[in-house]
Amino acid sequence: MVEAPIEDKRITLKEAAKLIPDGAHLFWGGFGFQRPPMAFAHELVRQKKRNLTVYTCGSEIDIDILSGAYVVSRFELAFFAIEGIGLAPNIQRRIREGAIQIEDYTNLAMALRFLGGALGVPFMPLKSMLGTDLIAKTKFRPKKAEVITCPFTGEKVVLVPSVRPDFSIVHVSRVDREGNAQIDGIKGEDVEGARAGKKVIVLAEEIVDTEFIRSQPDQTAIPNIYVNYVVECPWGAYPMMVYNYYDYDMEHVRMYYQQCKTEEGWQKYCEEYITGVEDHMEFLKKIGMERLLKLRAKKPFPY
Amino acid sequence: MDKNYAKLGEFTTLELMAVCGARAIKNGEVVFVGTGLPMIAAMLAKRTHAPNAKIVYEAGFIDSNAIDIALSIADSRLGYRASAAIGLIETLGLLLQGGHVDVGFVGAAQIDEYGNINTTYIGDFENPTVRLPGSGGGNDIVSSAKRIVIIMTHEKRKMVKKLDYLTSPGFLDGPKAREKAGLLGGGPSLVVTNLCQMDFDPETKRIRLATIHPGVTLQQILDNIGFDLIVPENVPTTEPPTYEELVILRAIDPHGIYIPRQG
Repeated sequence: MVEAPIEDKRITLKEAAKLIPDGAHLFWGGFGFQRPPMAFAHELVRQKKRNLTVYTCGSEIDIDILSGAYVVSRFELAFFAIEGIGLAPNIQRRIREGAIQIEDYTNLAMALRFLGGALGVPFMPLKSMLGTDLIAKTKFRPKKAEVITCPFTGEKVVLVPSVRPDFSIVHVSRVDREGNAQIDGIKGEDVEGARAGKKVIVLAEEIVDTEFIRSQPDQTAIPNIYVNYVVECPWGAYPMMVYNYYDYDMEHVRMYYQQCKTEEGWQKYCEEYITGVEDHMEFLKKIGMERLLKLRAKKPFPY
Repeated sequence: MDKNYAKLGEFTTLELMAVCGARAIKNGEVVFVGTGLPMIAAMLAKRTHAPNAKIVYEAGFIDSNAIDIALSIADSRLGYRASAAIGLIETLGLLLQGGHVDVGFVGAAQIDEYGNINTTYIGDFENPTVRLPGSGGGNDIVSSAKRIVIIMTHEKRKMVKKLDYLTSPGFLDGPKAREKAGLLGGGPSLVVTNLCQMDFDPETKRIRLATIHPGVTLQQILDNIGFDLIVPENVPTTEPPTYEELVILRAIDPHGIYIPRQG
């Protein structure tokens, strides 16, 4: 009997970010404070990527950083803010400058657009957005959504265009070398989003043995067939949270928010924590192991 | 059992608003909430008159039994003793659009007299004064939940004749407009502010004064509203919080994250 060799899709964070050309379209994973690909955002800033288009449901500091550093010029999304604290400071400024444009959808509409892309169909129907400016007003898409009469029932339905981005970027709990990924806690729109991209990069808190994944295949959220690259990236969502792994660092989040209210403050943050450090490991060293360990999830709580 | 009501000065306006929100939830209902006051209101309802209410958070937490205050709708705290942690298509698609959600709570930067909501732009669409967070799941919830509770502060610039941007659909431009647009849900049923509670006239679908908070005058309410409010002949005073509700409420948010302590 022939034993299948285990395919090794591991690359470094730097190598992963290098794959993204200027002008690329990305699905951006994570939801709210949960599992944002923060380390990947930092690396895109370090590599001075430009003119990206990002598709996501709702994101926070991660996309605020991408906006502050002029990495992204267009978003199609449903929500951005720093929840529980205030508006996303860099995005506000870049909108005023005209450096970024946002096409607004709802969370369900975006999640369905990813599902549509993953299914290989050109649009998806839904019952949100009807009667509102989300349909009436558009920023840059020639066609954003279309209300039709259902050919079967005669009821009104909204069609939204599917999304098939160049890359899907997701940060998960654990993955094996082949790219079988498990996500603890809520999945947000990552299950559909990871399947929508033409190429998929999975970043993970830890790399585990393939045998571990194969002993509990029901826990796999993204099977290896969809995944092109795997990046080991512990604390990759810091200062936000990863379910069962670590809590958010509210002190850092608040500091970010306060400091980034001014352009000078943002430039200082960016220099100190992103461009001024060599890589993700140097960033973590700067935060300090003692501080990080205090954030470790404490059973029976997932935070 | 006689209700032991707290007296004016013994509770804050935010505490009263949370209690109003909680009372809008019936036992056994499926409740869709976000963070902030709605989350506190739902937690209070579960600990008082509605222990079988099922709280759903759009990020994917279903039937949450959180004991700590969450800052994000995707906060791991909401996973504590939840019945499921799935994703957005499950919560906003299958549960909500599928018709399983009884009541949804939302906030608003602006509302108009038909309960239409703006959470996207203040000012001009092309040249906005402030770009707000956007719909998130707000439009989905307001489109498809059986009824909607809006919690917001009562200010003239927030209660306007014409919205700067219509994010989430109230009764649009009046009776039958939701049905004509093809919307599934029942629309807004209650607005809780720092001054009063308002509901909607069943005939005209326009916003109507329902109860006035203790210590507030009708004139205060009218002075702080930018559209014509329907004022019925006899408007009762809002039922104050009971001492029991206040004790439970203060234990839910012991550090005053969403409801700061008085003084």
